[in-house]
Amino acid sequence: MIYIDEDYCKGCHICLYMCYKNVYAISKEANKKGVQLPYVNFEDRCTKCGVCEIVCPDQAITVDIDPNWWIENNEYENFNPNMTMQ
Amino acid sequence: MSKPNRFIPYLREDRLPHIFCLGCGNGSIMNAFLAGMEKAEMDFENIAMVSGIGCSSRIPGYVKCDSLHSTHGRALSFATGLKVSNPDLDVVVFTGDGDCASIGGNHLIHAARRNINLTVICINNNIYGMTGGQISPTSPKGSFGTTAPYGTEDNPFNLAELVATAGATYSARWTTSHIENVVTSIKTALKNPGFSFVEVVSQCPTYYGRKNKLRTPTAMAVTLKVNSVLKSKAQNMSPKALEGKIVVGEFANKSKAEFTDNIEKLVQAKSGGKKVINSAFEAEL
Repeated sequence: MIYIDEDYCKGCHICLYMCYKNVYAISKEANKKGVQLPYVNFEDRCTKCGVCEIVCPDQAITVDIDPNWWIENNEYENFNPNMTMQ
Repeated sequence: MSKPNRFIPYLREDRLPHIFCLGCGNGSIMNAFLAGMEKAEMDFENIAMVSGIGCSSRIPGYVKCDSLHSTHGRALSFATGLKVSNPDLDVVVFTGDGDCASIGGNHLIHAARRNINLTVICINNNIYGMTGGQISPTSPKGSFGTTAPYGTEDNPFNLAELVATAGATYSARWTTSHIENVVTSIKTALKNPGFSFVEVVSQCPTYYGRKNKLRTPTAMAVTLKVNSVLKSKAQNMSPKALEGKIVVGEFANKSKAEFTDNIEKLVQAKSGGKKVINSAFEAEL
């Protein structure tokens, strides 16, 4: 899942250019702040690389990445190599 | 319902959303620094951030760690004092191009010459953004600004090569369109014992873009990506073909004796292992 925070987004649309798979699209109507928000148009294309999360200047995009995404079978589901310090 | 953002735990949430303009690259570089810090497995409590004056120097105000907002151009001097008095800290300096190249140019050269263990992230947006769009030392030849209505004729500063020549152990240049390389470079710079310099060419749609017919943030990001050439490819290109291009890559990656280690050795040799000032974390001060 990809979440876009409407309070933080300023509408620069850099996520549309930086996404390698063209997941996002621009909505036609502006919200109450006058911002044409991006929305997730093709979610099945998303590979969860996380570039849009880093490149968003306003911390508005959140990609729900499973911490053990690189383990194919779920035999070691309790194994967390502590890739991120949270 | 929605999951909180990955970088919100590191930021002062009561100050968000930040005051950077629409499409400014400073927010992306703040995210890239936090992601690189996670990858390098640094202790977030042990990091001190130092900044000078400018748009990019507002970044430490949004990060939830110890920070020092110093005078214009003297961020590296303050950071040197902080690092020498307390060598256990991981000092990170955020500067802009006006702060780092024009008024603080000598501080930059001599910090690189001493090879003190600092991490400097220079956000280069090719213009003085905060004061109204004047031409800076890193503006490309032929670009327009408030003080150059017919286009500037000066040659720009090449900061990453300058620092590599001055004796830094790590020096790299990337743009905001190569954000994954920025994260990897910041990770290497944080781990490197010695002076490490990462120059990130950023977009400024409000002033640089308005004067140079690149009004939208997307147009500026496309221009950065199209105009950048990798260093290994640029070695075989003629100087005429390289005009107006941004050479990206790593310019130095070596190892050398470090400044605070040298001071430690001198103190050990001259005063028999008894330092005048110990670390600030020790209680016996």
